[in-house]
Amino acid sequence: MANSEEIIPSYWYNIIPDLPKPLPPPRDPPDAEFSRIDLLRKIMPSEVLRQQFTVERFVPIPKEVREAYINIGRPTPLVRARRLEEFLNTPAKIYFKYEGATPTGSHKINTALPQAYFSMKEGVDHLVTETGAGQWGTAVALSARMYGLNSTIFMVKVSYEQKPQRRTIMQLYGARVFASPTSHTEYGKKVLNENPNHPGSLGIAMSEAIEYALSNGYKYLVGSVLDVVVLHQSVIGLEAMKQLQELDEEPDVLVGCVGGGSNFGGFTFPFIGSKKGSKYIAVGSYEIPKFSKGAYNYDFPDSAGLLPLVKMITLGRDYVPPPIYSGGLRYHGAAPSLSMLIKEGIVDWREYNEKEIFEAAQIFLQTQGIVPAPESSHAIRAVIEEAREAKIKNEKKVIVFNLSGHGLLDLPNYESMMKRIGQD
Amino acid sequence: MLVSYATLGYPNKEDYLRLVKGLVEAGSDILEIGLLPKYAKYDGPVIRRSYKQVSTWLTDFWSLLEETRRAVDVPLVILTYLEDWVTSLPDTLARMKDVGINGVLFPDLLIDFIDEYEKYVNEIKSHGLNAVIFTSPSVPDPLIHKVSKISDMFLYYGVRPTTGVPLPVSVDSLITRVRTLVNNKLVVGFGLSDIEDMKKALRAGADGVAIGTVYIEEIERNGVESAISLARKFRGILDGS
Repeated sequence: MANSEEIIPSYWYNIIPDLPKPLPPPRDPPDAEFSRIDLLRKIMPSEVLRQQFTVERFVPIPKEVREAYINIGRPTPLVRARRLEEFLNTPAKIYFKYEGATPTGSHKINTALPQAYFSMKEGVDHLVTETGAGQWGTAVALSARMYGLNSTIFMVKVSYEQKPQRRTIMQLYGARVFASPTSHTEYGKKVLNENPNHPGSLGIAMSEAIEYALSNGYKYLVGSVLDVVVLHQSVIGLEAMKQLQELDEEPDVLVGCVGGGSNFGGFTFPFIGSKKGSKYIAVGSYEIPKFSKGAYNYDFPDSAGLLPLVKMITLGRDYVPPPIYSGGLRYHGAAPSLSMLIKEGIVDWREYNEKEIFEAAQIFLQTQGIVPAPESSHAIRAVIEEAREAKIKNEKKVIVFNLSGHGLLDLPNYESMMKRIGQD
Repeated sequence: MLVSYATLGYPNKEDYLRLVKGLVEAGSDILEIGLLPKYAKYDGPVIRRSYKQVSTWLTDFWSLLEETRRAVDVPLVILTYLEDWVTSLPDTLARMKDVGINGVLFPDLLIDFIDEYEKYVNEIKSHGLNAVIFTSPSVPDPLIHKVSKISDMFLYYGVRPTTGVPLPVSVDSLITRVRTLVNNKLVVGFGLSDIEDMKKALRAGADGVAIGTVYIEEIERNGVESAISLARKFRGILDGS
């Protein structure tokens, strides 16, 4: 048996050289008055940017980052969900990789730590980012603190109001937290002028964070969508592969939820790249129907159009998502690499509504005892359906999913869902 | 191999013709001539500025191409976006052949036309033109290997996602890696921003370099003659001096 520290990889995995087609590169829009690609150099730490455009299949994890991973409790456990299997009376085996077992309660810390580390190495003293549900902001706030840096977080207003505890944690870690849209940026002022009660969106918060970083000379950390984030998150899938090997298991179905695609990509890409598994399911929200209604087009990752255009499945940068409780799934697009794998038919997708994911969350927490984040409950719903199908077909397949975060700070949301869905 | 890029008609007709002649006299093996596109999808701000300037006056680019052909005797490769010609490709290729163009390079071929790239490569070749294929780090390894064998003259490998923006990339490790995949001459471009980058590329196994943005920046600062001296300097590096 490997000891637990040996489970943590020494390298991140990059899927770009193993994609079926060339990944369309980022572009500047026609007649651009300034180059967004050039702007990346001003806002992102340079090592992070280098990794964004790397084509090395394996990128070494710096020793200090690997130690930081150990410090936050990596490797995270891979747990067999025996009670869930019994409840579903399925011949399938179900495993979950528990990313909620980190101090910040989600997978987001896996990329916040290296991005903060590289920033510190470059002499940066202040980090800025946006956050939707709060997991990413929390991860940045803690990572910044761990390296002695300041942080400012633009939190989507609807989440800021729904998730005051998330805000509190970020503040306890030492971050400044603003409800976006704010009046601290020109873009925020513009949005507020048009609609003073705007609920905010991740795209808007992202634009504000970038503008704020630019105007103050701070560095911007990116939480999802871009390749470098998926690269860092591959620690999840690489660990899970080793843990499955130790158990002598071959996975058949791999499942994850998708906001921007980082936990899904981080978890599944090492398996896809090494051709382990036969089915990969990306699960989104029915209320934010990017897989079923989104177009595969060049679009801006942020609402203001400050970042370069990337080719992705998108509902459009101006899309205003409804205020569902899975704040992390409200983003208008999906990572370019994931979008391509979906378009090529290598990754399947599903979309579930709040009622469906609420039921799945209840089944999971009543069998396994863990309150899943509403986002992760989307993955659970797909797992339950796969397990039920295995029962009908009497297949002993192995289903593995990424429980990307716990929902202990989402209890007020679950309470509201309980009331609302109970009335239906 | 020194592949020098010039935007057709930049900075003006007279200086452009002086530039292409000078670049050849300075030791360029091949000239790459950029045609003003409708959307410069993969060009950085410097080359975009050159297109903008050309768009103010150049209306008949065919006759200027003919003049270019008469002015120099090295192979001419046209750099243009397939998107602009896709509906009139056979006629355009035939006309290029008539003008005496030697090859064509579509930077968007493997990106926006990936499912039909072989058809277009065959079409270029069927008109007696060389098909120079553009690849980049985001092209998967097996595809780089495959297209390197069908690319005429050399395989073009752009190390950065856009021209003329010095994004941090590891030029040497990129080229060391791609060299093992390429069964052809390998020419590296797209953001070789300084002499150090060029040296790294050559040490890592590139057979040549393609230079464009640097010339345009030099023309903007000090004029055409100064850009030509740069070409002389690059020739020296390639020759090991």
